[in-house]
Formats: sequence, C-alpha cells, structure tokens
Amino acid sequence: MTVTPFLSIKNLTVKFGGLTAVNDFSMDVMPGAIHALIGPNGAGKSTVFNCISRYYQPASGDILFRGQSLMRTPAHGTAGLGIARTFQNLELFNGISVLENVMVGIDAALARDGKRLSPRQMRSEAEAILERTGLANYRDEQADALDFGHQKLLELSRALAVKPQLLLLDEPAAGLRNREIAALDKLLVDLARKEGLTVILVEHVMQLVMSISDRITVLSFGQKIAEGLPAEVRQNQQVIEAYLGREGAAA
Amino acid sequence: MPISMPAKLSAAAAALIALIVLPQLTSGYVVYLANLMLVYIILAIGLNILIGETGQFGLAHVAFYGIGIYTTAILTSRYGVPFPVAVIAGMLLAGAIGFLLGAVSFRMRDIYLALSTFAFGEAMQWVFKSWDAVTNGPNGMRIPQASLFGFRITNDHDAYYVVLAVAIVTVLVTILLMQSRLGRAFRAVRESEPAALALGVNVRRTKVIAFTLSAVYAGLAGGIFASFSSFIHPDSLGFTTTILVLTMIVVGGLGSIAGAVMGALILGLIQELLRQAPSYQEIIYGVILILFMMYAPKGVIGALKARFSRSGSAAK
Amino acid sequence: MDWQLIWLFLQQGVASGLVTGSIYALLAVAIVIIFKTTDAPNFAAGELFMAAAYVALYLLVFLALPFIAVVPLSLGVAFIAAALFYRIVLQKIGSSAAVTVNVVIATLGLSFVLKGAVRKTGVGDVPRSFPSIFGNDTITIGQAVLTLQDIGILALAVVSMTIFFLFFNFTRTGRAMRAVGMNPKAAVLVGINLRRTRMLIWGLSGLLSSLAALLIAPKILMTADMGSVVILGFAAAIIGGFTSLPGAVLGGLIIGIAENLVGLFISSRAISVAPFVAIMLVLVLRPQGLLGGKVAVKKV
Repeated sequence: MTVTPFLSIKNLTVKFGGLTAVNDFSMDVMPGAIHALIGPNGAGKSTVFNCISRYYQPASGDILFRGQSLMRTPAHGTAGLGIARTFQNLELFNGISVLENVMVGIDAALARDGKRLSPRQMRSEAEAILERTGLANYRDEQADALDFGHQKLLELSRALAVKPQLLLLDEPAAGLRNREIAALDKLLVDLARKEGLTVILVEHVMQLVMSISDRITVLSFGQKIAEGLPAEVRQNQQVIEAYLGREGAAA
Repeated sequence: MPISMPAKLSAAAAALIALIVLPQLTSGYVVYLANLMLVYIILAIGLNILIGETGQFGLAHVAFYGIGIYTTAILTSRYGVPFPVAVIAGMLLAGAIGFLLGAVSFRMRDIYLALSTFAFGEAMQWVFKSWDAVTNGPNGMRIPQASLFGFRITNDHDAYYVVLAVAIVTVLVTILLMQSRLGRAFRAVRESEPAALALGVNVRRTKVIAFTLSAVYAGLAGGIFASFSSFIHPDSLGFTTTILVLTMIVVGGLGSIAGAVMGALILGLIQELLRQAPSYQEIIYGVILILFMMYAPKGVIGALKARFSRSGSAAK
Repeated sequence: MDWQLIWLFLQQGVASGLVTGSIYALLAVAIVIIFKTTDAPNFAAGELFMAAAYVALYLLVFLALPFIAVVPLSLGVAFIAAALFYRIVLQKIGSSAAVTVNVVIATLGLSFVLKGAVRKTGVGDVPRSFPSIFGNDTITIGQAVLTLQDIGILALAVVSMTIFFLFFNFTRTGRAMRAVGMNPKAAVLVGINLRRTRMLIWGLSGLLSSLAALLIAPKILMTADMGSVVILGFAAAIIGGFTSLPGAVLGGLIIGIAENLVGLFISSRAISVAPFVAIMLVLVLRPQGLLGGKVAVKKV
C-alpha cells in the first residue's frame, strides 16, 4: 500500500540570474512526519522553502500539496491552504507587540475557516499560543525588543497561530540555549505525533535533527545528495564529505 | 504602566465636555481655528493610515483634500446638491482616484513611491490652477454656505458642532479599524512584506486599500472644510500643505491615532502663532522635522511611552 | 507647421536641450551618488542648489568679490554644508533600510530650512539676476542659435562631469565610494571608513549641486523657489534607473531635450506639468526606471 505524499516536490529548479540555486530537486514528505532538510550553508534549503511558500517562482518543476499543484497559488494563498513558515533571518513584525504578531497569524486561520473572534477571545487565543512556546511573559513587549532566540520562538508562535497542516521551520533552534532546545524538541514532537502536523525542518543543530526527524534529505550546492532515516544519513560518505570537505572526511 | 481604562474614559469625557462648551466661551476666530484643527485631525489621521500604519510613503494627500473641497463646493453651488451628499461625493471621488493611484503604484517602494506621489500631487495642483472652467483656475473659488437638513451654516459657530461630530466619529471609527484584521494587515505590510504574504495577507490589495482609505479621509476633510470656509485658492493645495500634514503625524508619532491628533493640534497652533511670518514658518517646520527625526523619531507619543515604560520598570 | 520649421525647431530644441540637460544631469548625478551610497534619497538637493546660488550671488554682488574667489568659496560652502548635514543629522538618524522614511523626512526638513532661510535674509524676496562671465554673443550651429553663455555652460558641465567620473573611477577615495555603494559591509571589511566616505559623498553631492547652480544662475531669474527645478534632476535620475551614473547623465540630457521640444512644439504652459506626468508614467510602466535592471525580490 502506498500513502500519497503530503507534500511532493518534483524536479524543482531555481535560478537567480545565471546562478542555479536549486537543481532538479525532488522530495516527498509523508503526512505527520518530521522531515529534516539539511545541508551546508548556501545549499539552497531556504530557497526550497521560498518556493513552497510561493515567494520565489521556480524556473521549472512542480510542487504538489496534498496532490494539488501550488504553482497557481499566489504567495498570500499558501496560509489559506494550511501552510505556515518561519524565516531563517527573521521576518518579524518588529514595530508591533509580541501579542499582535501572533494575532496576525490567528487572522490567517480565521480567514481560512471563515470564523470571527471578539477582541477578548482573540487575545486569549494569542496568549494560549505564547504560553505554549514559552513567551507568555513577553506578550506586551515590542517584537524587536526580544533577544534572537526568543524572536525565533515568536516566529514559530506566529506560524502556529495559523493552525497549519504543514509547518516549514527555517532554523528554529538558532540562538536557543540547551534547555530551550529541549523544550522545542518536545513541542515539535507533540505537534507531529499528537496533533498530526507535518513538519519540514531546516536546521543546523544536529542533536535536534537526529533526535526528532523521521526522515532526512541532504542538499548540497542545490542538489540532493542523500535521503533516508537519520541513522542512514549519518553514515553516508557523501554527506560527511559535503559537511566536512574532502580532506576532513579522509582524515 | 499602561494607563487604566477608567482613567482614559474620564479624560475623554472631560475633553468632550471642554470641546462642547468651547464655542460658548470664545470668540468667532477661535472657533474658526478649532474648526480648522478638527479638519487637520481628519487629514492627519488619514495620512497616518497610509504612511504611519502601512508604511507607504504617499505624498499626494493634499491632492485628495483639494478634490474633496472642489467637489463639495462645485456640487453645492452649481448643481444644488445637498451638502452632505456633496461631501460624500467628494469622498468617493477622492477614494476612486486614490484607488487608481494605489493600483498603479503598488510595486514602487520608498523613494519611488514618494516621487511618483509627489509628482501626482503637483500635477493635481496644476489641474486645480489650470482647469479654469471647473475650478475657476488660479483666482480661486468661492465656496457657498452649506446647509444641513434645512439648517443653514452661516458662521463658524454653526459649523463647529458638525465638524466636531464628524471628527469624533472619524477618530472612533479609525480606532476600531486599526484594531481590526485590516489594521493588523496594514502594520504587517509595513513591517515585513514576505512575512505578511506567508500569513495570508494580500499585500497588493492591502496597499491599495490603504491608499483608497487615506484618500477618502482627505476627501472628507476637504468636504468638512467647505462647510465653514468661504474660499479656496489652489496655492494652498501645494506640497507645503502636504509637508504640514506629514509634520503633524511625525511630531505626534507615526502609526498612532493619538499621535496624529496631538500632532495636528501642535502644528495647527504653531502655524497660527507663525501667521505673521511665513518665512519663519518654513524654517521652523524644517527644524521641527529634523529635530524630531534626530531625537524623537517616534514622536511625542513614542517619547511618552518610553518614559512611562521606563518609570514602570524602575518601579519593579 | 511645415517641414522646414519642424527641422529648425528640432535643431534648436536639441541644442538648447543639451545645455539645460547638462544642468539636470549634474543634479541627477548629485542625487544618484547619495542614493547609491547611503540608500537615502536627498529631497533637499534642490534647495542646496538654490542656497548655493544665493551664496554665490551674495559673495559676488553684495561683497563684490571677484569671480575667481567666488567660485571656490561657493563650492566649498556647499561641500561643507552638505557634509555637515550628513555628519550631524543623518549619522544620528542612522542609515538602515528601516529608517529610510526618517531620512526622507529629515531631508525634507533641510529643504524647508534652506528655503525659509533664504527668504528670511530678504535677498530672496525679489527675483534677481546673476551676472554672467560669458558675453551674450551668439553662434550658430547648423540652424540652431546658442549664446556663448550656453556653450560655456555645456562645456563646463561636460568638463566637470568628466573630472568627477575620473575621480570616481580612478582615485582611491572614488573607489572607496563605489565600494560603499556596492556593498557597505564588504567595504568596511576591507578597511573603508563608512561614515567618513558617506560624509564625503554628501559633500561632493552638495558641490555638484552648487556647480549646477553657478552654471545655470545667469540664465534664469533667481527666486527662493528655484530649487523646484530639482524635480527634473529626479526625473533624469529615474529615467537612468536611479543607481546608474551614466544613466543619470543620459536621463538629464533626455529630459533637457524633451523639455525644450515640448516648449517649442506644444506650449510653454504644458512645460510646468510635463515633468510630473513623465515621472509618473515612467514609474508606473517601469518602477525600476528606464535603464534600471529588474526589480529585485527581497531576499529572505
């Protein structure tokens, strides 16, 4: 029996001017999985995210979300389909409060479900999300007053507020302390296992990637060089070379 | 510490009573000034939606103000259209042209947007000056007395309560609007377009709405101005007036309704004090803009907030 | 209109257009170098131009200094004033993309201060004319008639732009300025002093504006509102794509010629609104300018 992939990237190629950032890349993500996308800096991971969220238009290839092509969806339409994301270099709404950042996410969920909330309900829902990500104490701060790790968590909170089915996380653990990484680990596992959320995770903190991923895809210079279970990828010679360089791998 | 709700309400009630009894206590000229400042408040709140909330640097605000004034004046004087209907027509026309301007400029950012809207404002002033058949050209135009449901507005006192009511309703509606989903979408577009898109905000449509709404406010301000003013001259609809309104929202604090109101009052007063010396007026606006950008880029409201939160955290 | 007249108008329009266009080109270069290197548009460029003309007028007419002293003094004053504005005001405001609006507002503030200041001195109350060093003799090129003054303006504008390009491309300071324009972070890494370079650029921009003012002042009536001519410099910069110096020069010449042709063929009343319509049309059709590259998608 085969399960239809939740998200299916087919032969994706992205070019910037003459430069090919992603080359003929394919990847299937199964429903409810935590699927890590790793690779050295500049490998094209964020570019793949930007294509899924329709911010970039690929030169060729297709992306199917629950069997439907995304290529005709406008960038502002992905949230309505149940896709939410975070950004590698932070794209918070800096000048407004932490709480209001989350409310913009809730607005997206409400618009999709055709619901309305009173201002009071809105506030308590936003507070509940911040409670879950550990930012409740900062709710009235302006977003740019938070430190980097907390800003990362705020991006995650804002994405969760969309009540997505597919969550794209771009280096969520960057800037977090060990204790916070452990909490993030537990939160992501809860989301996937208990709530059936599908997560694609771009991350450099290998301890987190290896502990929670169901499957790992490795990108290097825009090409897929390996894919498999965490244990398989860890042993893969090409992956070790890509990360450490040829000499490092030989040593 | 945020100011408590009962304190806010009692302050608002006190201010309202003061505003209501004002004309009984003062002369006609002060009432005229009060009317003018209320118009500035509507203008400033409208520009704040575009620049302060949405971060779109539109510099054509006065063009829409002019459209509101001329539309109201022409419809009431030449076609006998009832005053409220004429004001609404002015708002709609300003909104329609604002919509078009927004629709063609949504791709432009910062400087390009500032330049193209500046150019639009100048072109509109040229139209006001040159379209003799409609606007009476560079000689300016007499505005007839307005009448509201059979009640004739013959002086500033008559107009005051109408202007005040419109201004208060405008402020209240704007406060609600800015706390709504649309208001959050405005700020989302201002802070990060990529994130706004990822959260389902149609950035293009949101910008066009901001342009349209801002123009409607300016059109309303123009119509209200026509209720108590008897004359309009195209020279007063130039870039200097746009800068005056811009200075108001910068001084008050970009992105804050209270700031726009405060800025309109402060600049309205300064303008009045400098009436006799127009050259000082330019220098002083200029210096105010520069000093605020250097030392209080978030305006009076921002400075007050910073002060309150500092004393609040010191108390902890 | 018969063909001969059209041919005559064309020649005259192009010749006169090159003269005024060279002034717009100088202003456009002054605007573009600041935009390129600090990401901030200088909305005070026109008033710097205007104030520089009045400084020169004051030195020349009221203090009766000789030309040979007036030119370097006026250029120097404009250089120092613009550099100081950057040093004192803009450095305080900062130069990240987040504060572009603040910088725009500050330069608008400067433009109002300068305009008000000139009016306040009383010198700017009545239109004045600026003495010319060139005679009013005319020469004929083809069928176009130009005064010696026109030729002088064009020649000096071309010479000074050439010097500027040589400086920008072949000196250490010029290369530092270009590096800051391309990538400020990398420029800092190779040891360029960002603040000092940007301050110099503001100074240079002021100098170029004042040069344009010295050249064109004898040809026009001076008023405190003469800075509004800068809109044509902005139009030129927009046509050139706003970040390209050759584009700015080309844009200036195109605007100058177009303006003269509109005046000759359509009406002088249309001249006053034509630049605004042109700016809007260009920006609506090509938000990146006629010669600009593609609109960049913000990297996230």
